[in-house]
Amino acid sequence: MITVTPTGSTATRDLSALTDAETALEIKNLDLYYGNKQALYDVSMKIPKNQVTAFIGPSGCGKSTLLRCINRMNDLVDICRIEGEILLHGQNIYDRKVDVAALRRGVGMVFQRPNPFPKSIYENVVYGLRLQGIKDRRVLDEAVERSLRGAALWDEVKDRLNDNAFGLSGGQQQRLVIARAIAIEPEVLLLDEPTSALDPISTLTIEELINDLKKQFTVVIVTHNMQQAARVSDQTAFMYMGEMVEYSDTNTLFTTPAKKKTEDYITGRYG
Amino acid sequence: MDTGHLNKHISGQFNEELENVRSQILAMGGLVEQQLMDVLTAARDKNSDLAHEVINNDVKVNNFEMEIDQECTRIIAKRQPTASDLRLMMTIVKTITDLERIGDLAESIAKASLRSDISAPDVVKFNLEAMGEQIVKMLREVLDAFARMDVKAAWQVHLHDKKIDSLHEGIVRQSLTYMMGDSRSIPQMLDLMSISRALERVGDHCTNISEYVVYNVTGKDIRHTSAVEIASIIDQQ
Repeated sequence: MITVTPTGSTATRDLSALTDAETALEIKNLDLYYGNKQALYDVSMKIPKNQVTAFIGPSGCGKSTLLRCINRMNDLVDICRIEGEILLHGQNIYDRKVDVAALRRGVGMVFQRPNPFPKSIYENVVYGLRLQGIKDRRVLDEAVERSLRGAALWDEVKDRLNDNAFGLSGGQQQRLVIARAIAIEPEVLLLDEPTSALDPISTLTIEELINDLKKQFTVVIVTHNMQQAARVSDQTAFMYMGEMVEYSDTNTLFTTPAKKKTEDYITGRYG
Repeated sequence: MDTGHLNKHISGQFNEELENVRSQILAMGGLVEQQLMDVLTAARDKNSDLAHEVINNDVKVNNFEMEIDQECTRIIAKRQPTASDLRLMMTIVKTITDLERIGDLAESIAKASLRSDISAPDVVKFNLEAMGEQIVKMLREVLDAFARMDVKAAWQVHLHDKKIDSLHEGIVRQSLTYMMGDSRSIPQMLDLMSISRALERVGDHCTNISEYVVYNVTGKDIRHTSAVEIASIIDQQ
């Protein structure tokens, strides 16, 4: 007799009830202002460990702004003011005692356009490690192989590690940047539209990679491509005009969203 | 089907495609309903021409099923529907399967009616006609519920199926009694029982369609769910 085991639970998980052990990050009542203009309104959510969480929403809804809050990239914007908390290991990352450089080692980021440094493939990967003062060649070599394998790029570049990174294709460059981000073994990886500049096949390679990365890291991804969010993420947050409208299991959000705004957006309707 | 909801996509082409599938499935439902009414008339009046017409028309029902299936496949490939649009696609694909099966059952009733001279005992004939009327009503109501995506009306159809089942059981019992009394009536009674069985199956297909309507509107799968749970889902609407 053939027994069939259901692969996905249809029950909706209550994400606000995640325990501390299951939570990688907790955002609590976050408000963000650019000068007088408020860009995020009272955002609260728990981001589970070792899973992929996607932020979706129309341009200007605040999803990239929210992502950038998680490793304090918004500190670089003078007029930006933040209220509320983001907890990593129970500690507010906006606390004055927090060392921002250390935070960013724990929370890596990959941007929309691949931005390798004008150096060799090898040097790109070990850049963060060298900044940490690691010089042992064997440690660096190991990190290069591990990171490039982790980013699904090793087999394509292992024979030309000393070539300039600019010689790689766009998709390879983006995977190199991911390798650079994971070389320093962060806990959380933030991906800001990582495939929007790539062709569909490179996009699929990166999506496949994201699925592998979550075994080791907690991944948070901002994407314009709703189908991508549906494909790669475990939970999805829909944002609209600075508010988090709905945050739930990806399966639930894309089949039976609870809010009409979410429904209108993901089905391509005007509200 | 709430057309006000269907035509609000930013993509006008998508609106047109959905509208097209919607009108096709309503036309298919209308054809199947006509087939069922015709076959019951043919059986009652011993009208073999009409029975043959039903048999010949089944190909139209089959063509509808294939066309709508293809159109849904195209929409899924091109538009990657989500949420209510996705549920609608699933609902349509499943509904046309049940409609096509109802068409097949109408055809098999037509064949059974041609095979035997239905000079059945009046009581069985009367019960069978009553069951036929109930079934046509049930099909009409479920198609209405589908057209308006009316959950409460769909649930009423669901509840009605129990009555159909007991009518069928009654006919089976009566037929057996006649068969035991007079073995020469066996071939004829077997045909009557097969007609009753076919009608009972039509009721089951209507019930399935009513379940798809509830799924499309609420996102809840009520198949294999207790009546109490279903009632609470319906009440939330």
